[in-house]
Amino acid sequence: MAGFFNKLKGAGTGISKADSNAAPKNKKEEPAPELTPLEKLLQNAGPVREDGSDKFFGLENFGNTCYCNSIVQALYYSEPFRENVVRYPPFTPSDTPDGKPRKVNVSIRAPVQANGAAGGAGKGQKPATSAQAIKQRHAVNGQALPGQPVRPEDRPDSPEYKKKQSMIRGPVLELAQENPDAYGMEECTFTGLKDIFTALIESNTRIGVLSPQRFLDIFKRDNELFRNSQHQDAHEFYGLVLNDVIANVEANAKRMQERDESRNKDGLAQSVHSALGASTALQSKAEPGTRTPGTGWVHDIFEGVLVSETRCLTCETASQRDETFLDLSIDLEEHSSVTSCLQNFSAEEMLCERNKFHCDHCGGLQEAEKRMKIKKLPKVLALHLKRFKYTEDYSRLQKLFHRVVYPYHLRMFNTTDDAADPDRMYELYAVVIHIGGNAYHGHYVSVIKTKDRGWLLFDDEMVEPVDKHFVRNFFGDKPGMACAYVLFYQEVEFDKVREEMDAEGPEEVRLASQKVDVALGTTEQPNGTATVPLSKLNTQPLPPLDEGHDAMPTLGHAQSAPGDIASTVPLPLSPVQPDQSEIHPLVAAPLPDPAAMTAADEAATIPPKSKDDKLRDKKEQKAQEKARKAAEKEQARIAEKQRFEKQAKIREAQKSEQEQLQKALQESKLLAAEDGKKRKKETADSVPEVGSYEKPSGFLNRASRGSKSMTRKSLAFLNKGGDKGDKDKEKEKEKDKASDKSDRSDKGESSSVAASSSAAAAPTEGSLQQNGGSHSPTQPQTQEKGPETAAPDKDKPDKHPLKERFSFGLGKKKSGKFLS
Amino acid sequence: MFVLPPPPRYPTQAAYNAAVGTGQVAPMIETNNILTSPSGPEYQFLVGEGLYVLKEDLHLATPPPHPSEAPIVNPNPLATTPPPATAGTKLSLANLDVRPLPAAFYRVTSPSSGLQQSIQEHPDESKSSSEARESSSEAGRIASSDVLLIVSNAPAFGEGNALLAPPNSKDANKRRKPKNNVTKSNSSFISRVIVHETLNKRLQDRPSDGLFAFANINRAFQWLDLSSPSKAEYLTKILFTKAHCLCHDVNLLTKSSSHIDVIMGFSTGEIIWWEPISQRYTRLNKNGIINGTPVSEIRWIPGSEHLFLAAHMDGSLVVYDKEKEDATFSADEEAGAGLQTNGEVNSDTASKGVSNSSQIQINKSVHSKNQKSNPVAVWKLSNQRINAFAFSPDHRHLAVVSEDGSLRIIDYLKEELLDLFYSYYGGLICVCWSPDGKYVLTGGQDDLISIWCPSESALIARCQGHHSWVTSVAFDPWRCDDKNYRFGSVGEDRRICLWDFSVGMLHRPKAASVHHHQRGGSVSSRLVSLQRAESSQNGYGAGEEAAEKILPHAVEPRSRTAMLPPVLSKTIDEDPLCWIDFTQDAILTSCKSGHLRTWSRPSDTSPQLDEETDSSQV
Repeated sequence: MAGFFNKLKGAGTGISKADSNAAPKNKKEEPAPELTPLEKLLQNAGPVREDGSDKFFGLENFGNTCYCNSIVQALYYSEPFRENVVRYPPFTPSDTPDGKPRKVNVSIRAPVQANGAAGGAGKGQKPATSAQAIKQRHAVNGQALPGQPVRPEDRPDSPEYKKKQSMIRGPVLELAQENPDAYGMEECTFTGLKDIFTALIESNTRIGVLSPQRFLDIFKRDNELFRNSQHQDAHEFYGLVLNDVIANVEANAKRMQERDESRNKDGLAQSVHSALGASTALQSKAEPGTRTPGTGWVHDIFEGVLVSETRCLTCETASQRDETFLDLSIDLEEHSSVTSCLQNFSAEEMLCERNKFHCDHCGGLQEAEKRMKIKKLPKVLALHLKRFKYTEDYSRLQKLFHRVVYPYHLRMFNTTDDAADPDRMYELYAVVIHIGGNAYHGHYVSVIKTKDRGWLLFDDEMVEPVDKHFVRNFFGDKPGMACAYVLFYQEVEFDKVREEMDAEGPEEVRLASQKVDVALGTTEQPNGTATVPLSKLNTQPLPPLDEGHDAMPTLGHAQSAPGDIASTVPLPLSPVQPDQSEIHPLVAAPLPDPAAMTAADEAATIPPKSKDDKLRDKKEQKAQEKARKAAEKEQARIAEKQRFEKQAKIREAQKSEQEQLQKALQESKLLAAEDGKKRKKETADSVPEVGSYEKPSGFLNRASRGSKSMTRKSLAFLNKGGDKGDKDKEKEKEKDKASDKSDRSDKGESSSVAASSSAAAAPTEGSLQQNGGSHSPTQPQTQEKGPETAAPDKDKPDKHPLKERFSFGLGKKKSGKFLS
Repeated sequence: MFVLPPPPRYPTQAAYNAAVGTGQVAPMIETNNILTSPSGPEYQFLVGEGLYVLKEDLHLATPPPHPSEAPIVNPNPLATTPPPATAGTKLSLANLDVRPLPAAFYRVTSPSSGLQQSIQEHPDESKSSSEARESSSEAGRIASSDVLLIVSNAPAFGEGNALLAPPNSKDANKRRKPKNNVTKSNSSFISRVIVHETLNKRLQDRPSDGLFAFANINRAFQWLDLSSPSKAEYLTKILFTKAHCLCHDVNLLTKSSSHIDVIMGFSTGEIIWWEPISQRYTRLNKNGIINGTPVSEIRWIPGSEHLFLAAHMDGSLVVYDKEKEDATFSADEEAGAGLQTNGEVNSDTASKGVSNSSQIQINKSVHSKNQKSNPVAVWKLSNQRINAFAFSPDHRHLAVVSEDGSLRIIDYLKEELLDLFYSYYGGLICVCWSPDGKYVLTGGQDDLISIWCPSESALIARCQGHHSWVTSVAFDPWRCDDKNYRFGSVGEDRRICLWDFSVGMLHRPKAASVHHHQRGGSVSSRLVSLQRAESSQNGYGAGEEAAEKILPHAVEPRSRTAMLPPVLSKTIDEDPLCWIDFTQDAILTSCKSGHLRTWSRPSDTSPQLDEETDSSQV
């Protein structure tokens, strides 16, 4: 409780600072600053550690780059990965005598002026280069925003506000400059990541914001599919980054090997190699396929080995094949656990009908049994929950809101009999969360367990401590559409787990008593229980982001119903509304008069009580309680009245939204079916509506919704008004790219995810719609066929769960290279 | 009586959440329970003994939020506001009639074990325990597999401490009622009490062997008559203002047609002792004066009329006396007092900061001389939340499971930790004893049910069949005999699993047979130990080496543990299940959204005859 309260306080003074004080702010220099929860947590933290385990930086969002931020944070807090990235390569080419890598080229951004929208602004922009991005940022910062209702980032409890404050507070580390040859490697994803990690470690403050611009530039350079500013799949990003890192490190190691060999053939190379990677020797035993010495660690940490055993039912011959994986993509079942989904992953499966197995022994397509087990467990186990399901009939990725529970600790049941350490214990250390209604929109955040600071929530620029139980809010069944999407488990010793539990005891006790406060309603939270219902409604936080909201028609609601900021989001999907409302059962029924309802309830409650006043039992009832109750009743009455009035006002405005929202929740099929139509309208509608966008709504949207995709869109429209020439050119280019993509996926080279993202890309560019959008349904079917399933099978992609399971095996690595 | 409004507009919690999620103030209204009896293949399941069929589904109405309390509308999914503690619907069953016991119960008293006799040499001398037996014969027993009264020649809890003797044992039939009238209460804790208008008539007309049920749902607590044709109409419904009842229990010793002791634990940490027939109640641990954390489990101490045990979420177990006043409790003071007044009692009393893994921290002993007020005893197990506990049928032992995955076996009479086990991984959620007291079952977040044998300090088997966390386990005493055990479990996966477990029939794990490396022999030794456990009949062979035992036990690797598959696994509800119990005629289950389902046993078989034919096919 205290934590939350402080948060508010901190935020509160933050406002006054922002309003009254235009001077640069440096948190550390303020005499008696109100601390943010994170700062409070870090008080008396002692000297900054060398290993970077106590750096808690937000990452700047450049418009839809939350997929990157959430994954980079999760990677950074994987201790073995961070250490190895920082350590590799051990020598700079200049052979610095002390063997230390050169300092990263970090610049600290000039603190922003507080009168504008600060860091929150401009993120919707689509910066072409980093330099331009900075310019744009400053340009937007200057804009004044007259005549607006309360902006979401002005409300101290909103994430937008906190993000903005983080940017204001700084320091903001820029990694925007080219940083060539720092490590004797060409600039690549790995060096970009290494720059980020090193910059964080070398920073002399514990908190701040880092701008990963350069890393993204490099990554986008190498990965064509991400070369736009749309919403991307965080898991896909994770796989590509790891593959890039592996490829980069291996390429470098090979290069060094060759160079060393050519330079001195006196066996010195050997010693260098042994110095390169401690785990090389270890690796050589278990390694499948070829591996360059010195790169053991990249394989070691995330890579596991699966055995797929196929038994031909005709000749009973069993064949085994090893495959490496960087994560496991598991199918979800309604109301299940991660444990159970993992078991299903390894469940026996029949290869029959159109999915027969080509048996080398009997020489032909035969029915076969196949199952996959884990032969080598990775140090860090990444579990990708397949929440985005491609449904044949609706030709798009739908999000599954299945409730899937995940424990804090895990062991794997599906190991082979000869696996080493089959009872290895894993602990959950990071959860990447997707917030949003479908695969094409939304926001990613991560919740990460840090070494000794407990769990932290990383939401782009904002970092906030959360309690352990917060981690359990993302099973998928809670309102708000936030679901765990990628789970990171790391290996751990059981004894350490027990120690930790002992250590976290007092915190647990505190949480337990906090629960009582919550139950009693004695807490004074703005969104808490009974204290001031009116203010509660006013400060009602943002409605969850949902595709349905895209349909909010006008800005008008904002004034009449300040509580509902979402209604200011002007995206032109409204044409679809009418038919949806007819379908939704709950909404179709007229709302009962809440006043009548509550009045009835009160009537039922209060009269008996007043009668009882006479019979009051003196022992039990203290005078205080009476007073409190009276006050409560009074408040309740006021609340009723207010609520009623408010409802009356809001109801009208809300009605259409509700239809939209609930529609999206339960009937999103329809939306899917009409997707194409919608998209067309959207682009058509957008130009005339530019006027209404002109106000800051563009970035207001972004800020308020956390939805990068929408902002991008709206700002894209803005830009269209401004400099059409450039836009058109870019459009042309994207069109080409997208058609490239679909071509390629037709060739069967691209993965299903890739195909889906091209599908995602298509709708926003109206002209591409037929090209990408209509092709996409068939693309995943042609994805990489396993060697054993040669039979062409175009119409039943779901019958190939095998293939879909591996998102990033070695095969994928190849296709990744091809793409780059 | 006012007219109740029509059925709920939000039939499910999900719909309600969706409504709240949209930012709309969900117009929930007061509703009635709904009784349905759906039929069809999805409402029945087939096991070896026959077909279980859904008899009826009683949907308990989720009450609307209190008028003074606008629903918490915070659709920001990242809001760090902790949610208040709540619990899915669980039931406490009470049957006022005496029925023949299933055979499994009798084994506890079976004289075959001389060993057992020798341990429990205590002649039952105390007033309370003799009284206990007397009243037990009168009060009869329930139809659930819960604690039984007949058995124990174990001494009563707190025996020897004269201060704990019941205040007036002169008239055992005239039970003391709580102080306050619940219907006339104007406490801010209780929002509203609705008593059925013909309550007295219904109580008179009902069959004497009918089953009463007490159920929590959201902020409501209902008293139901499951034998009534109009069981959807609750006998009494209490609506609390904000607090949710998380757990409750009926005293099986004191129940009679004129008196039922019900105890409830709340999300606010408070406890209410309620006597439904006179509609009187008493609040204990008021405002968290003794312990300020929510109560996750509460049970009457078997054989005691007025003592009950509550598990608070800070990891402490607290014994309360229903009739004593609260007094502020500080562990330090009590420890000091314990030393001064009663130095010889328990040296542990004073030793603070003991390691949680080797003993329990006794903040107040039941032997303390300071027994004027509550609490009677306070034991701190750890700082981790206790999820459930269960008393052994012999009234000596307590099995406690926690969120950190630990299972503790405690001799609560001696206030000693006997054993400490850990789950395969994840927290443990539920626990129960076999009717003969030989085995303990736990279910948890590893999706497993683990069978433990406390007398052997061993894990017997893990049971794999649920697709999500296991929330409740119970033995079916009507289908248990000397060697074969039937138990059922429900979980978050909405499944019911039934299991047949028979000593000696456990398969050795495949992995172990494949790999004969250093651990090869242990499995067979496990089986041997199983048989030994079997021969030693009941509970603890002896106090044995309990003292020198090195706690806790390491987690058994999979390759050494037998895996038991279920005889049945079936999805039986739309929402995660949270409770299961067996009666003579049915299996009862309940789910988070308040569906209480009654599954009739196969009609053609008589439970007594069935024992021979009931061979478990593992």
